[in-house]
Amino acid sequence: MPPQILRLVLLTLGIVGSFLMARAVLTPSSFRQYGWYRGDALEEIASRTPVYAGTKSCDECHSDILQKQAKDAHKTLSCEGCHGVSREHGDNPDILPVKLTGSHCIRCHEANPSRPAWFKQIIVKDHYSGKCTECHLPHQPTQVP
Amino acid sequence: MTPDVTNVLVEVLPKFEGYVYPNEAGPHPLWGFLIVLYPYITGLVAGAFIMASLVRVFKVQALEPVYRLSMLTSFSFLLCATLPLLFHLGHPERCFEIMMTPHLTSPMAIFGFVYAWYLMAVLLLELWFDYRYDLVQWSKTTPGFRGIIYRLFTVGVTDESPAATALDAKLGRFLSVVGIPSAFLLHGYVGFIFGSVKANPWWGNVLMPIIFIMSAIVSGIALCVFNYMVLTWIRRRTIDMRCLDTMAMFLFYALVVDAAIEGLDWIHRIYAAEEGFSVMQTMIREKLFYTLNLGQATVGTLIPLLALGSLQLLRKRVPEMIRKRMIGVSALMILVGVLAMRWNVVIGGQLFSKSLRGVMGYKLEFAGVEGWFMGLILLSLPFVILTTLVKLFLSEQLPATSGHVPQGEGAEQAL
Amino acid sequence: MKNQFTRRSVLARLGGAVAGVLSLPAARAAKAAVQKVFVSSGAPRGYDPSKHKWLMCVDVNKCIGCGLCAEACKKENNVPEGPYFRTWIERYIIPKPKPASGETRGEAIVDCPNGGMHGFPEAAIPKDQIEHSFFVPKLCNLCEHSPCVQVCPVGATFDAPDGAVLIDPKYCIGCGFCIQACPYGCRFLSPVTKTAEKCSLCYHRITRGLKPACVEVCPTQARIFGDLKNMAPDDPIQKFYEQNRVQVLKPHLGTNPRVLYAGLDKEVR
Repeated sequence: MPPQILRLVLLTLGIVGSFLMARAVLTPSSFRQYGWYRGDALEEIASRTPVYAGTKSCDECHSDILQKQAKDAHKTLSCEGCHGVSREHGDNPDILPVKLTGSHCIRCHEANPSRPAWFKQIIVKDHYSGKCTECHLPHQPTQVP
Repeated sequence: MTPDVTNVLVEVLPKFEGYVYPNEAGPHPLWGFLIVLYPYITGLVAGAFIMASLVRVFKVQALEPVYRLSMLTSFSFLLCATLPLLFHLGHPERCFEIMMTPHLTSPMAIFGFVYAWYLMAVLLLELWFDYRYDLVQWSKTTPGFRGIIYRLFTVGVTDESPAATALDAKLGRFLSVVGIPSAFLLHGYVGFIFGSVKANPWWGNVLMPIIFIMSAIVSGIALCVFNYMVLTWIRRRTIDMRCLDTMAMFLFYALVVDAAIEGLDWIHRIYAAEEGFSVMQTMIREKLFYTLNLGQATVGTLIPLLALGSLQLLRKRVPEMIRKRMIGVSALMILVGVLAMRWNVVIGGQLFSKSLRGVMGYKLEFAGVEGWFMGLILLSLPFVILTTLVKLFLSEQLPATSGHVPQGEGAEQAL
Repeated sequence: MKNQFTRRSVLARLGGAVAGVLSLPAARAAKAAVQKVFVSSGAPRGYDPSKHKWLMCVDVNKCIGCGLCAEACKKENNVPEGPYFRTWIERYIIPKPKPASGETRGEAIVDCPNGGMHGFPEAAIPKDQIEHSFFVPKLCNLCEHSPCVQVCPVGATFDAPDGAVLIDPKYCIGCGFCIQACPYGCRFLSPVTKTAEKCSLCYHRITRGLKPACVEVCPTQARIFGDLKNMAPDDPIQKFYEQNRVQVLKPHLGTNPRVLYAGLDKEVR
């Protein structure tokens, strides 16, 4: 065999061989478990700790409020939408939720032409300038306190 | 409006024209100047190689003096081609993943293999076959460290027999033939990266890889013209006008094809006026006006077409001095124009929103990894490498051997 | 728990190195036989991705533009401050046509202040000039032929077996190709992790039987979430199908988005 060819064949085998070895070492073990990605990634992404507790967990202690809420206009609201992230409160009731009361009503109910017509909206300055809760129970908004 | 909302308005997104998706509202595009440079550099690599292959494959004897310079140019630019990509990555330390688990549906995934193939199997091998005989001679006659380098590059194959050199020539020619599609692949896949993005109407079209390849060939030939003229000027030698004229001829015809295809892209866009057309018009008018109309079209295409075209018509009637100047200036203009073209493609595609309703801006910064200072360094580096390679492998102090390479105008002028 | 992982993966790598040199396909087949059920202690036990097919749909007629979803997403997923959103709400205002102009509509005005995270300020034009106006929540469209997955060069973003399109933050090299390829603008490069990021359908919540944070806080059920492989007769997704004619975003691109919209307008891109 001509010396060039021999030398080149040896070099090629060396390069390809070390590439294959490197690939065997450097490819993560869970790769191609489900597809062209690290199978471990699914577990890693899923193992992140949730931040919001979810209304179902509020139900464990506050089922009375939720039962009343379920019969009124705010039945589709989540607790944490108004009260903020309450996971810590759920774990330890002595820690209060982020927001107990507040002016969150306006965030949704301020009249805006982009809001759908079926949605109850008010122009705040024409409606009432005091506190919303004077006339509306927050969990049962059609009821007067 | 509650105080909450008003307070927050101060942190509202920077003003853009029209509407852009919130994720597009960043201060600068995702793919910046570094990604403009990468296709530019690989284009020069591919183009310089195609120039060199004109000698070996298409047997254009007139270009013989510039063969080795073109190959070394291609090589020195290829060595720097990965740098813009590495600097751009969010996690360059994971760059090996692209070769370990390449996702074969992605055009970007072939990068590692195409690059390795082109570097080792095409460029280095062809250079080796061309130089092997000389390396053996030089390793015997050159003292010291340089001699060791030459011996290293012979890879231990020191056979000087005519049979061995004949085999060198045959394999070198074979590699030149293989190298042409490899060069097309090396740069064409970059064009395909952009051409395959259907989400972006500026990028995603069928002509993109072809436009990239043609402008690569044009820029590569222009670079070889530039390097040849500079090198002969530094060495105070006379330029081989037959070589220069031939290069100018190929440059002209390549530019004609390039301009025709780019023109076709333009005409089709304007004629079909598809959905994103009006926002792209706005983008061109407001953001790419100078780089497109002045940089790419006028400086990069129109003026060199006229200059080189007139030389093709008038030929030897134009005095040598003027011809040299015209060709040199045209080459420089083309180099600037092709860089402008890469800018227009890469940055232009990110200056309008995918909502097709808004237009963003980009101010190229001086400092930082994506700044133009870094760009200057990355563009100068291949020339530094080329200088070293020329000193090592194209030096006039080296005895002109080249047992198998056909002599052109005489040993002194063979570079 | 971390030690288990490290020891196991080190052992697997050594075995893989030897096996890989001799017979890579055989090694790959052996790895594929690994159980598909999550066993890591951090992740929910017993979750089998092949038994679920998650989907979110959007009812534009119900969205009131309160922005609670965008805000909740930022908090839930620790999304960086600034123009980085995994989900956002766009407001479309379609003015009445100019009188005697012969046009059917005025030119649409679209805006999205801070992703809609804090609600929306007053409209740019007075109410009597508005013909139609509505809010459109946007998120990852869960495409069947995701262009983002197609272009990832290393396999860092993928279609999970249960319908989510996820990004592996430990594998992503930050090239940004997926961000360019997504037609819906739902991806971004995180300035913190320097990897691509996008809506993960709150994967860490849905694998535990919780709802994604945006669905959780939406007050009007404009976002409908469900499991196509486990649909009860009164499932909200089932009701959504039955009650609405639906559209998808940018159907002409062939991405086959699975996220269905009810109530879109021709102006929505």
